[in-house]
Amino acid sequence: MSQPPQGPFPPNSPQDRPPPPPDAAPPMRSRARPAPAPRQGAARADAVPLMETVRVTAPDLRRRAALEKTRERLFITACFFVVLFVAVIGKLADATIIDPLHPRPPSHQIAAMLNTPTLAAAPPLARRAMITDRNGQILAISLPTVSVYADPRQMMDPNDAARKLKQVLPDLDEAALARRLSDAQRQFVYVARQVTPDQERRILDLGIPGIDFRPTEDRHYPMGRTAAQVLGAVDVDEDGIAGVEKHFNKRLFEDPTPLRLSIDVRVQAVLREELDAAYTEFTAKSACGVVMDIDTGEVLALVSLPDYDANNFATAPANARFDCAASGMYEPGSTFKLQTLSMALQLGVVHVWNEFDAAHPIHVGRFTITDFEGENRWLYLPEVLAYSSNLGAAHIALDVGPERQQAWLRMMGMFKPVPIQLPEADRPIVPPISRWKALTTMTVGFGNGIAVSPLHIVRGTAAVANGGVLVTPTLLAQPPSNGVPEGERVMSEQTSDTMRKLMRLVVTQGTAKGANIPGFYVGGKTGTSQVVGKGGYRQHTNISTFVGVFPMNAPRYVVYFMLNEPHGNKSTGGFSTAGAVSVPGGGRVIARIGPMLGVLPDLTDQATIDQALYMPMQPPRPPGQPITPPDAPIPGDHGFNTAARAAYRRIPGHAPLPPAARPVASHHPARGTAPHRPVPPRAPVHLLPPAQPLPPAARRQTAAYTAQPRDVLAEATQAAPLPARASLGPPPLAPR
Amino acid sequence: MMERRLLREAPFDAAAKLWRVNWLYVLLLCALSGVGYVALYSAGGGPEPYASRHVLRFAAALVLMLAVAMTDIRLIAKLAWPFYFLALALLAAVARFGHVGLGAQRWISIGGVLMQPSELMKIALVLALAAWFRRASWERMGNPLFLIPPMLAVLVPVGLILKEPNLGTAVITAAVGGAVFFAAGVRWWKFALVLAPVPLLATFAFHHLHGYQRARIETFLHPERDPLGAGYNIIQSKIALGSGGMWGEGFLHGSQGKLDFLPEKQTDFIFTLLGEQFGFVGSVVILSLLCLIILGGMAMAIRCRHQFGRLVALGIAVNFSLYVFVNIAMNAGAIPVGGVPLPLVSHGGSAMMTVMLGFGLLMSVHVHRDVEFPEGEG
Repeated sequence: MSQPPQGPFPPNSPQDRPPPPPDAAPPMRSRARPAPAPRQGAARADAVPLMETVRVTAPDLRRRAALEKTRERLFITACFFVVLFVAVIGKLADATIIDPLHPRPPSHQIAAMLNTPTLAAAPPLARRAMITDRNGQILAISLPTVSVYADPRQMMDPNDAARKLKQVLPDLDEAALARRLSDAQRQFVYVARQVTPDQERRILDLGIPGIDFRPTEDRHYPMGRTAAQVLGAVDVDEDGIAGVEKHFNKRLFEDPTPLRLSIDVRVQAVLREELDAAYTEFTAKSACGVVMDIDTGEVLALVSLPDYDANNFATAPANARFDCAASGMYEPGSTFKLQTLSMALQLGVVHVWNEFDAAHPIHVGRFTITDFEGENRWLYLPEVLAYSSNLGAAHIALDVGPERQQAWLRMMGMFKPVPIQLPEADRPIVPPISRWKALTTMTVGFGNGIAVSPLHIVRGTAAVANGGVLVTPTLLAQPPSNGVPEGERVMSEQTSDTMRKLMRLVVTQGTAKGANIPGFYVGGKTGTSQVVGKGGYRQHTNISTFVGVFPMNAPRYVVYFMLNEPHGNKSTGGFSTAGAVSVPGGGRVIARIGPMLGVLPDLTDQATIDQALYMPMQPPRPPGQPITPPDAPIPGDHGFNTAARAAYRRIPGHAPLPPAARPVASHHPARGTAPHRPVPPRAPVHLLPPAQPLPPAARRQTAAYTAQPRDVLAEATQAAPLPARASLGPPPLAPR
Repeated sequence: MMERRLLREAPFDAAAKLWRVNWLYVLLLCALSGVGYVALYSAGGGPEPYASRHVLRFAAALVLMLAVAMTDIRLIAKLAWPFYFLALALLAAVARFGHVGLGAQRWISIGGVLMQPSELMKIALVLALAAWFRRASWERMGNPLFLIPPMLAVLVPVGLILKEPNLGTAVITAAVGGAVFFAAGVRWWKFALVLAPVPLLATFAFHHLHGYQRARIETFLHPERDPLGAGYNIIQSKIALGSGGMWGEGFLHGSQGKLDFLPEKQTDFIFTLLGEQFGFVGSVVILSLLCLIILGGMAMAIRCRHQFGRLVALGIAVNFSLYVFVNIAMNAGAIPVGGVPLPLVSHGGSAMMTVMLGFGLLMSVHVHRDVEFPEGEG
């Protein structure tokens, strides 16, 4: 290239031409032209002396042919590369000026990173629906938040990263975090869940490579302690683990519309406040309250104390998480007498004018049944309820008999968990049917020897007072268009009507006078049961309950107010009975929530309403009717024949009673002054065939009696222990 | 005078050889190295740490190149096969004793100098194939048995380079070998026969590739899939070229290169660095310079009057152009990222030495373009 062409031929020409024939003369140099200068390294024909004949041999030809071929191929190769470079230039033009790629905003890149397969495999975040009360007040809501995670592969100094993170998130376990961040095999490690925006900013400021955030949700309970146990809780993945959150877990994920509960936060707050005041004043161990719509079964309020802030479920103590209303099983005490009386009235076994021997304690085996501060006389049926006579209730229960009693209680749902939308709803503690003889019948008749939840009592009381229909408690707000739901009729309206009058009597003249709020016509029943402890009932430890219904002329709501192990103080004269500690609180609840719920005190029609609800303490017995009802058979119970019961049974229908046993009618101020309103005859609902007279007792029990009743329930359940309970809290009958 | 004229070869001393050196071509190489200086100055933010060393290295390499250019091409032809086996031995040694750099065993230390035998191998392969084919007639080229030894000479080193593993260099080596075969006159249909199963082999090989190699190809096909991981290089390179546009952002400007978004900007992605600063126009100027060097090499091959020289020159030119093509196409996002530097521009001593050794051979071919190989060997 740098060489100028020399000689007759252009530099490339000799070999570019077709080779001359072998015998052809070599190209001759003209003499006229100057001799060519010697050329270094030349291998060309003109380098040889002119006279010499150059023989072109066959290998020469082959070589030339090969060179020709190579030349051709070289051109092709060069062209190929030119094309290749043109293509590269085209691509460059595309990348630089035709379609330049611009840096994308960072959010774009993070989004793309989050779509990498590792994270795409995780389920998409589902917004968990809100939970509101019946008026739309938010009880639980999911708010977006972020979780901190780390990619250990990108970690440069795990120990330093853990130390820095610890400064922002003081709850971190620094050593454990450093260990997890050092595991370069992993691509994803949670550092902390649900950090606050401020923490997020501070972590970002740390600038640790490999630390990132992913959006999550955090469940918030804006009402705090209100209805904490009802709402329950969710775990870190927002799966419900307790309460309504657990029961409606699927629904809350699938249906984004808010879940509307029957709870009314106003009522809930009032109930909680009054319950908490009593709980604090009487230093009770726990407390429980329920307000339920008597017709629809909607639970307006459900309080269990002690409680906790629903936002701090994880750190709440077990006894605070424990929902007394659904899981707590307590001996209902005298509130159960409502069941005994309505059962006996419905069966037609007893009438309101029947009298029952409350003068003599009943001795069964080692046990003695007495009345707490009793009247020590024969009591009319209204008096049995008003004065809460255990002896009277025991006699009535025996008049019904164990089989019909069990059938009744089973029908009232007392043998199985309350069907409510709470996973915590538990099984009652029921004595074994095989041992359900006379003693069990009597104790269950006044609410001992059986343990049911407050919701059982509320449900049963509602059925007694609402006209005789057993409702299903619900935590879901029922649309008004639904009207009153279909429920199972468990007693006639007449029985319910009588029971309402009797319950009103308890408040006007009986043990619950403190709840007689003017204008609300409260009816109800108190219950004071002794707490079962080690080896028997513990003295001076009560479960004090008041269950009320208002207004009695047109029942709307059931209010349940219970204190577990309250301690009497000066204001109660040291008493911790229901009448002293629970009734006033229950009354205040009614007075406060009544107007909220549209039940205004009605004082103008007081006389009329009082008249309609009137029930004499000692209703006059129609002529020809026996004083005592017939006794029901106790199958297979031959050990039962006590002196009191035998004496009771010796009284024939019209036989004059011994003077000592005769009720002193004049004792009661109401007797004779109030107008007598005859109870209309009722068609008895037959649960069981009519009772047959009990065969004469085979033997007489003369064992020594203890002053206090023994642990009846423990005795009854010893032979056949109940199935293991699965509940959050301690079993209510465990030794305390 | 007559005696000298009677000699088949006139005296051919060093001065005459120097005169025959294609100094225009040397100037082109110096210009390319100057481009490298500018690029490395920008990459290093000043003469240090890359640019000044680049100049020193180029000066040394230039001396090496001229020394090789002075060597008689016939001597080189004689030494072709020994050189080939030496390179093969080094390649085998690297598999056993080589240094591990960036996950691959490519480097070996000879007398304290780190070098990549695979680079040396490409030149040795060109020489060996040229020595094999230089006497081959058109008829002989048609004999398949004649082609088996050179094919083995290509496949053995390619296999060793694949094992390092260095996919890019292996493919380039195979392509250089193929180009020499093609220029020597192997029949078209034989190429078709060899290349036909390549797609099948490629799919088979794809399943036996290393994870990172497969990731490179996957990322090349869908770079947006993993913009912060395996796709980072391609995307940042494309962003840099795009921000350069037609005229570039100016020397020592350019956010991608300056802010270290661009990876390996002093070696593999140096062309992108230039593209960002000097734009499409600057890139085309550089490409034209490269193209001149390549076509000049091809012209020297055509100008040469013996088969050995032609094949050597072609092989060297093809090797250089494949280098350039792979690097620039990679920078432009046209082919997967391969870890191939841009010769004479990228930072790196070993690569420059081998490239200049190749240009020395090319120049030797040019200097000795008219020599006659002894008949006995021909």
